[in-house]
Amino acid sequence: MALTTTRARPVVGARPARRRESVLARIVRHWADYLYIAPALIVMLLVIGYPIYYTVYLSFFATPPSLSMDEKIWVGLDNYRRILRSESFRDVTWNTFIWTIFSTFFAFVLGFAAALVVHREFIGRGIVRGLLLIPYVISAVAASYIWRWLYHSDSGLISGVLMDLGLIDRPINFLDDIDRVMPSLIVANVWKEFPFAMIMLLAGLQTVPEQLHRAAMVDGAGTWHRFIHVTIPHLKGVIIITTLLLLVTNLNSFTIVWIMTGGGPAGASEIWITEVYQLAFGRLRFGLASAYSVILFIVMMTLGYFYVKALTRGDRRRRPA
Amino acid sequence: MSTAQQTLPAARAATKAAARRTRRRRGIWDILGWIYLVLLLIFTVVPMLWMLSTSLKSEWAALQQPPQWLPSNPTLRHYERLLSPYSEVGPTFLRYLFNSFWVSSATTVLGVMIAIPAAYAFSRFRFPGREALFFSVLLRNMFPAVVFLMPLFIMMRWLHLVNTHGSLILTYLTFGLPLSIWLLKGFYDNIPPELEMAARIDGASRFQAFWRVVMPLSAPGIIATAIYSFILAWNEYVYALTFLNNEERLTLPVGLQRFFTEYASNWPGLMAAAFIMSVPVVALFLILQKYFVRALTEGAVKT
Repeated sequence: MALTTTRARPVVGARPARRRESVLARIVRHWADYLYIAPALIVMLLVIGYPIYYTVYLSFFATPPSLSMDEKIWVGLDNYRRILRSESFRDVTWNTFIWTIFSTFFAFVLGFAAALVVHREFIGRGIVRGLLLIPYVISAVAASYIWRWLYHSDSGLISGVLMDLGLIDRPINFLDDIDRVMPSLIVANVWKEFPFAMIMLLAGLQTVPEQLHRAAMVDGAGTWHRFIHVTIPHLKGVIIITTLLLLVTNLNSFTIVWIMTGGGPAGASEIWITEVYQLAFGRLRFGLASAYSVILFIVMMTLGYFYVKALTRGDRRRRPA
Repeated sequence: MSTAQQTLPAARAATKAAARRTRRRRGIWDILGWIYLVLLLIFTVVPMLWMLSTSLKSEWAALQQPPQWLPSNPTLRHYERLLSPYSEVGPTFLRYLFNSFWVSSATTVLGVMIAIPAAYAFSRFRFPGREALFFSVLLRNMFPAVVFLMPLFIMMRWLHLVNTHGSLILTYLTFGLPLSIWLLKGFYDNIPPELEMAARIDGASRFQAFWRVVMPLSAPGIIATAIYSFILAWNEYVYALTFLNNEERLTLPVGLQRFFTEYASNWPGLMAAAFIMSVPVVALFLILQKYFVRALTEGAVKT
């Protein structure tokens, strides 16, 4: 303990007291560096910076339901007021909440357990890992149709098997039922998403030093205790990042809901993203949809803040800039 | 001395007992693990096998209840129809396939080419604004595509790019480029700068050092990034749905949906189309799994 403090101090003190340079001078000195990022920067400004600006701008206007943006009327914060006060916003937000939380939770738990299992050595491990990852790589459109077919009310596999087993008498209606639609969609989403959590956590598990486990074993710690006191603390960073990325992906996921139910029946599976899409391209209410997007932005930025913080913690430690 | 000799065997026995205990406890966890793995494999694999099995059935057989696990009269008819240029849907489907290849490849090549110098600069140089710029790159991953959709759609109308592949290639850079920069930076971070310095001392210019030393070493990283970006572009649906109307120009994900609305009850045909669409990405992924996994986890997991 004493040794580390005495060693750490001189390093901090011995930092070369570099002459302070003005920002402009540094920019000039580094001018050539900017050439490397210039193409990327231009493209990003065009396809990312500008859209963000325009969305915020448009959110203050009422737009007539047409594609030409010439007749828009300045309405200030009216769009926001209308959205936040509307009854459907409450329902859609609740759906979004359920969808995001449950998808993230189950994808994480299934993925973590899978990572622990395939981390052990056994014959055929490579094949098993590959198989488990496939749902993540295939397109969400294909996945949506596969699950729609599995859920099919007359000829679906799931109803068929359950009837074969004598568990039910009549086929279950999974997607056309207000109460069942959300859980059914979440199952399909978890099927597609859990491999992501698995890969991330598996990569994390591979960085846990074997000696730590040995040491804990010598101390008499069983599998469970080693998991709680060695594995989990070591994976903290990866766990945070994986959870945040899953939250963001689920909050943003559009395809599965759109193709499987389109938000129905009766809006029972409508989430923010599908609602924004309906508003913009179904009803051509660009102003309203923009305001909706900005609300989404704010939620994302909050999550994004924690994501960047979690990511850069490791970066700073490794190489002080 | 004598006490030490006495306790040694006792200690050994104690360790052995402890080891046996942990092994027994491990045994329970092992069994639970195997059960879980089997259930998870069923959950993962059955939907995919069901797609394959359905795609080999006739339309009538597919609607049978109870469902047939394996087709009693397997047929390749749906695949033939989709892939033959002489059937009624074949030409359209092949066109979708070609469009998807073209758009995904162009996006990948363009994205990686622009990303390489940027990622290198973010990894090596310490110019003012570097951190702020890099974080804005990261933050892009947070934004939903749907939010970009409206302004990009309006922009594409101005540029007269609606209904062209150019609009897709350009917009796919919204996710391809930040992702490529982020992944490649991770790979460049892992290449020691000393190697370039050595090359510089030997008389190479900065560009030569980059081209001759860094590029070959980062080839796996570039491959990983390219696959990842190709897969994302291949699977992309929202932009393609919004920007393309022309039947001739659709990519596979949207094309699949068109098929579905047209041949609503033809589930085997749809499953065959979904299978064909999955083959390239799954093949790419299985061949280059190691790189792909590295690309996914790079950055989040620091060793």
